[in-house]
Amino acid sequence: MLRPDEAAPVLDRLIHEPGRLAILTVLSSVKDADFLFLQRATGLTKGNLSSHLTKLEDAGLVTIEKRFIRKKPNTNVALTAVGKQRIAEHWAQLERLRQLSEPDEPRPAHRGP
Amino acid sequence: MDRHTLESAAAKYSYLRGLFGIPAGLAFIAAALGNNAVGPFAHDWFFVLVIAALGLMALAITRYYNDNYGRLNPSSTQQVRVAITVAIAVAAMVGGAFLLRDLPVNGIAVSFATLMLVSYAITVGLSAHQVIIWGALLIAGALPVWNGEDPSNTGLVMAGVAVIACGLLDHRLFVRAFGPPTVAADAQA
Repeated sequence: MLRPDEAAPVLDRLIHEPGRLAILTVLSSVKDADFLFLQRATGLTKGNLSSHLTKLEDAGLVTIEKRFIRKKPNTNVALTAVGKQRIAEHWAQLERLRQLSEPDEPRPAHRGP
Repeated sequence: MDRHTLESAAAKYSYLRGLFGIPAGLAFIAAALGNNAVGPFAHDWFFVLVIAALGLMALAITRYYNDNYGRLNPSSTQQVRVAITVAIAVAAMVGGAFLLRDLPVNGIAVSFATLMLVSYAITVGLSAHQVIIWGALLIAGALPVWNGEDPSNTGLVMAGVAVIACGLLDHRLFVRAFGPPTVAADAQA
């Protein structure tokens, strides 16, 4: 239950979308990763992942580097400092929301004289 | 959506690429055969040739994982964890073999099994097959039957077989976590 002086948790709509939340969470545990690894780790389709990455790049949460490895195109993705902060805050808000949704601890029965 | 599963994907990718266990295990066995000068292993050049071939096998396995499952650079936290694990590993192997040298146990098997159990527990958490394989090696090495001839080479062969078996089962876990190799092989964007 919220205390009167406490602000309600605010969820970041850009990050809260499950696909983007998955991408940012995976990226938060690595220095950088390529498109194929992100696809494997999140289970997203190629089109979905590509679309989410574009939105995250436009918002400044990730950086995308296109390169060639053994003459094959490779897309490398890393979280920006802002992205790191936003995903950490988002998980903190979700955790707070989870705690608020839990029923209050039952008060001990009053044993009067 | 499970936060822990997503956050542990990188660690699983790094530590469950079990096919590397095949060349690693074969290198252990080759070392034992080389020490005993068995057959062509009596010649030093043959041992070097085998190790070079195993190195090429490891490169092919790296390419297989990169092409089918992608690439990543671990975070600095994970790199520090690996460095600490390696340091503990080296200390445990050398120290364990030294401390156990006068006991009728197999120092190589005991220290290597302990090291593997600890390193898996620190990095990705222990799975049933890892507990069984490394636990079996630990028990076999700790049985007080290893008096007489130097048991180091037998320990190397046992460790090599355990590395291969554990690697194959680790790879099975890897495929379960990331999917079969053909699904996303053409997914580079």
